[in-house]
Amino acid sequence: MGSLKPIDDATTQQGFMATRVDELINWGRKNSLWPMPLGLSCCGIELMAMIGPKFDLARFGAEAARFSPRQCDLMIVAGTLTWKMAEAARVIYDQMPDPKWVIAMGVCSSSGGMYDSYSVVQGVDMILPVDVYVPGCPPRPDAVIDAIMKLQKKIEREQPLKARLSGDNLDHGIGSKTFVRAPNTAVSTRGSHAVLPPGESRP
Amino acid sequence: MSTLERVQSALAAIGAKPLASREGTPFFSIEPAHVREACRILRDVCGFETNTFVTAIDHFPAEPRFELVWQFLSVQHNDRVRLSARVSGEQPHVDTIGDLFPGTQYSERECFDMFGIVFDGHQSHAGGLKRLLMPEGYDHFPLRKDFPHQGIEPDKLYNAWFKQRFERHEAEHADV
Ligand code: SF4
Repeated sequence: MGSLKPIDDATTQQGFMATRVDELINWGRKNSLWPMPLGLSCCGIELMAMIGPKFDLARFGAEAARFSPRQCDLMIVAGTLTWKMAEAARVIYDQMPDPKWVIAMGVCSSSGGMYDSYSVVQGVDMILPVDVYVPGCPPRPDAVIDAIMKLQKKIEREQPLKARLSGDNLDHGIGSKTFVRAPNTAVSTRGSHAVLPPGESRP
Repeated sequence: MSTLERVQSALAAIGAKPLASREGTPFFSIEPAHVREACRILRDVCGFETNTFVTAIDHFPAEPRFELVWQFLSVQHNDRVRLSARVSGEQPHVDTIGDLFPGTQYSERECFDMFGIVFDGHQSHAGGLKRLLMPEGYDHFPLRKDFPHQGIEPDKLYNAWFKQRFERHEAEHADV
């Protein structure tokens, strides 16, 4: 404990706040989400409206949509994902740096929607761990904003420091066995998105 | 002279039989072996410069199972004409008309992709008859009537790709 020093006068005069590292990290993460707009079909139009000035996603700090996955931490799957496109979507997801979250926007990406078909992925949770599902065809921009607020609440509950200290594998790149088969189990209460390989269950 | 008569007399040599069509477009049934000849007559004698589409209809379980349909347009005469030929088998063959009407190449690729009809002699910029909409390596022909609409193992190609990618990654990072 020898490294702990009493707070000096300069600090007390300027003021300070006591908080937990987790809370500070989460506060930063949840208020600066950078969406990766995976606009695959009609839902993409609503996504654009959401980011635009009328609905103004900037109020939630998530308006900085980047078209490089390397700069993003929130993938918004807006549209119909086909099996032919699934490989590309998975590569984009893997290219995003951790921590990262996924919103399935619209019924198509949530469950395949009306495309009960051989060519359409019946829910992107077959290939990606989804955090928030948004119903609607297409969902109104306010519904997606609501999803972003829900995601912010979820990020608040994460424990990044604990995950890091416990050696939880934070690198969910292509090395992780994030191959999800069971839908709707991807909502993790842990601070990480490690989705288990088939056959293994969470403790 | 009506379109029907004009085309009928030109196609008489290959024994085309007129069929009833619902909206009045001249419609002829031909033998699959005469496809190229019929198309050449339509282009060179009757003045149909353009092919509108090549497609197929699956009459499963009737035999012969597939009805191929070609539609041609004459801008000069403001006419349309349709040809039909019945083919059967698991992998039906018919001659390509891609060299007579280059615009049919995509139609033929789509028809192959969806119905599995092989157009003999097909040459396109893609280098032969390849799938157009479904990914390379797909095993089925989705618009056939005996194909279930939810598909057969729709995730097969994705899973294979994912597994291969994962194993390659594991091998590359084996030392860490
Ligand atoms: S959910 Fe509706 S609006 Fe969205 S991509 Fe699907 S069909 Fe289009």
